Amino acid sequence: MLKKVDLSVKFCGVTFPNPFMLSSSPVSNSAEMIARAFDAGWGGVAYKTLVTDRIPITHPSPRMHGCNYDGKRLVGLQNVEQTTDRGLKPNLRDIAYLKKHYPKHIVMASIMGFSNREWADLAKAATDAGSDMLELNFSCPHMAVEGSGAKVGQANDLVRKFTETARNVTKLPLVAKLTPNVTDMNEPAMAAKAGGADGISAINTVAGLSEVNLDNFIPQPDVFGKGSISGYSGPAIKPIGLRFIAQLAKNKELGLPLSGIGGIETWVDALEYILLGATTVQVTTGVIHYGYGIVGEMIEGLSDYMAQRKIARVADLVGKAVKNVHETSDFNVRRQGIARYDLDRCVGCGQCYTVCRDAGGSALDWNAKKRRPALTEAKCLSCMVCSFVCPVERLITFKEMPKTWKRRKTVTLG
Amino acid sequence: MAEAERCLLCHDAPCSKGCPASTNPGEFIRKLRLRNVMGAIRTVKENNILGGACGVLCPTARLCEKECSATGIDRTIRIGKLQRFLVEHSWKIGFNPLSGGRFELPPPAAGRVAVIGGGPAGLSCAAELARNGCRVTVFEERAEAGGVLRYGVPGFRLSTEFLKKELEDVKALGVTFKTSRAVGPGGPRGLLKKGFRAVFVGIGLWAPIRPFGGEQGAGVISSVSFLELFRRGKPAPRKLCSGKTVAVIGGGSVAIDCARTALRLGAKDVYLVYRRSFSQMPAEEDERLEALNEGVHFLLLNQPTGYARDKRGGLAGVKLVRTRLSGKDASGRRKPVDIPGSDWVLEAGACIEAVGNKPEEKSISPGKLISADPATGKTSAAGIYAGGDIVRGPGTVVQSVADGKAAAKAILKQLKAAIC
Ligand SMILES: Cc1cc2nc3c(=O)[nH]c(=O)nc-3n(C[C@H](O)[C@H](O)[C@H](O)COP(=O)(O)OP(=O)(O)OC[C@H]3O[C@@H](n4cnc5c(N)ncnc54)[C@H](O)[C@@H]3O)c2cc1C
Ligand SMILES: Cc1cc2nc3c(=O)[nH]c(=O)nc-3n(C[C@H](O)[C@H](O)[C@H](O)COP(=O)(O)O)c2cc1C
Ligand code: SF4
Repeated sequence: MLKKVDLSVKFCGVTFPNPFMLSSSPVSNSAEMIARAFDAGWGGVAYKTLVTDRIPITHPSPRMHGCNYDGKRLVGLQNVEQTTDRGLKPNLRDIAYLKKHYPKHIVMASIMGFSNREWADLAKAATDAGSDMLELNFSCPHMAVEGSGAKVGQANDLVRKFTETARNVTKLPLVAKLTPNVTDMNEPAMAAKAGGADGISAINTVAGLSEVNLDNFIPQPDVFGKGSISGYSGPAIKPIGLRFIAQLAKNKELGLPLSGIGGIETWVDALEYILLGATTVQVTTGVIHYGYGIVGEMIEGLSDYMAQRKIARVADLVGKAVKNVHETSDFNVRRQGIARYDLDRCVGCGQCYTVCRDAGGSALDWNAKKRRPALTEAKCLSCMVCSFVCPVERLITFKEMPKTWKRRKTVTLG
Repeated sequence: MAEAERCLLCHDAPCSKGCPASTNPGEFIRKLRLRNVMGAIRTVKENNILGGACGVLCPTARLCEKECSATGIDRTIRIGKLQRFLVEHSWKIGFNPLSGGRFELPPPAAGRVAVIGGGPAGLSCAAELARNGCRVTVFEERAEAGGVLRYGVPGFRLSTEFLKKELEDVKALGVTFKTSRAVGPGGPRGLLKKGFRAVFVGIGLWAPIRPFGGEQGAGVISSVSFLELFRRGKPAPRKLCSGKTVAVIGGGSVAIDCARTALRLGAKDVYLVYRRSFSQMPAEEDERLEALNEGVHFLLLNQPTGYARDKRGGLAGVKLVRTRLSGKDASGRRKPVDIPGSDWVLEAGACIEAVGNKPEEKSISPGKLISADPATGKTSAAGIYAGGDIVRGPGTVVQSVADGKAAAKAILKQLKAAIC
């Protein structure tokens, strides 16, 4: 029995039992599924995006493609799924059911209108159904309907307008879900704030094209002979998600609570988002890979981390790393270092030699007899590419050199 | 970690069902995979207080790893190795999931319980009880706890240091150890009278079975004495083996341990004498192969019939008769029958008898196994429970851990019923 650590968080004024949420997607498609997720430990859900019944939604088939890298499965996931394909009424009934049976768990209905009027209708309907808060989906990268999805997220005036529309019909906290397919997310975020949003969630999927079939030249997923540019998610996009969360967190003018999304599978990923400013985190591909049960590992892992460091509340961790995110121009480049080799543990594979020669400072010589690299310190660029390929953990580490140390200049031919 | 990556994270994990002690590999590998390392350690140690020793010693090929779905596409996940890694890692990072405030230990109100025998069964029972608030005293005949793990299994397979660390995990739970304290035949009842609310008996099998009706004499030793003297660091085993040809009689794990130990003690040649064939040996395949590779000579299809003595009564060799396999016997294996006139003598300067262990004569259950319900450890006497080898006959560490745990649960139920 693990000693209970309090993981509850307050996000946009709403108290969550823990920061772990399902993001809006097939993993949050119905009350039957979400109830099981709550039982497994998830603290809240962004319910699969609701639309009005005016334009019926039919998903392409098949609708996803899993990207593997070497032996590792689902490093990324490509999907062409649309918003919910269920009717509005059944979805609203499901939301009401969840709130009745899981009053302490948080249901955030995600909505997407195809017109100003629809935004208002959906916001009102979801409020009446008993949602705790609303997520405004300005970010689906592959909606087949004009004037919706990411196209809105890329047009700041529309973000503001639709947020205002929702604001006018409901008192519930509004969270704008933004697309990473922009240069600067702070612009739409500020527009959402101006429209009355209480928080921002990011990121939705990254527009991508993950694989092409070499036999028939069709990009994946292959929807009866056609591929397309569509939403890419999973561990591969985590650095992109972290970037946007950090940028939003650093924007003092914005100052809204954040929900971090993108490539979260473990408590470590979740904590990184939290340290960069997220109060809650949301997951889809992690659940597509492992099922709802991963939340148990997230809860136990984060609890142990907090207990070990005597951190009482998740809130004490939120944004802790933000002040350490700087512009690269702030770096002190007078301090320099090199790679340090602990050759006692070397197994003699020689990968370091290959990459240092072809991609680094050509600072290594190779002793063929002993099968060991020999470093000329003055040539080491501290790029550390050797350490990335070394199979022995921590054999190659970074060490700082004294101020007086000088790196040799790169050889010029001709 | 790379090994955990190979795990298929099966739904309704079959490996977890393959473990007698419910150590739950499906869960701990999944936790490891999802970077919940402390949680993984917690799963191992909560379910199996000797998770480290089991990781090293379990015959995984016929337990958890036998069930592994990965064998359908590749080779099994090496579960034992992962389990051992996790336990060693817990020591490295100084994390004992069962103590140090990570556990809400209930107050020691549930009562005092006595455990007789500090082997796997007793240790597991003691740990489970202590975790649930009982004050537990372990009475152990020998100088240190551990049972076969301390005085049987040779150190090259399970180091004393490793065992010591795992025993510390038990001690950290507040279990009291009274070592060098043998409990006699009337002991369990006496302990009940002294105020212990329940007694668990896990005394194992420590009397050697003699192959030739008790005859022994110079140059011959039982596996029990041989391994125990070796583990106690006594010079006798080395003296017996060094520079000599050593015969080991038997085909089980214990015989293999004796043979490999004899080699390490400087024996010139070690013959493992077994009356059936290689594939019929009860010893696990991996240990058989290791012994072969290390240089043990397997002398199969030979039935020992007695000892040959020199003029001064010293050991000259082992008398053998060759056998052949005939029809199936009661155990379903083909039966060895002697080939008439094929008698011969294997010259040997020392012989280790390793044909099995049985309950000790001057003990709690003189010369007999104790009969107890395998699911609860309950014996016919109220308040007295038993488990491990003294109930099942020669078994495994993990089965004994399972027995100890099951008995502890039954004891807790008894104590709770008494309170309510
Ligand atoms: C050489 C050898 C190698 C083995 N290798 C393996 C292996 O690799 N893997 C595996 O799974 N299993 C192995 N086994 C089997 C395994 O060790 C046993 O099944 C297991 O130890 C049984 O546990 P136990 O607690 O029932 O008894 P034991 O381990 O025998 O412990 C009983 C304890 O009770 C004490 N005791 C006895 N009488 C009294 C008394 N009257 N009062 C107080 N204390 C008493 C003893 O000193 C001992 O410490 C091996 C066995 C042997 C002999
Ligand atoms: C199949 C699929 C369907 C999705 N549908 C929606 C949706 O309806 N609404 C929405 O806001 N986001 C949707 N998303 C985006 C996810 O909610 C999430 O933002 C994104 O997948 C990144 O998180 P992840 O890496 O944990 O998957 C969908 C993602 C996938 C993979
Ligand atoms: S996961 Fe289920 S619903 Fe999806 S394709 Fe496979 S069988 Fe069909």
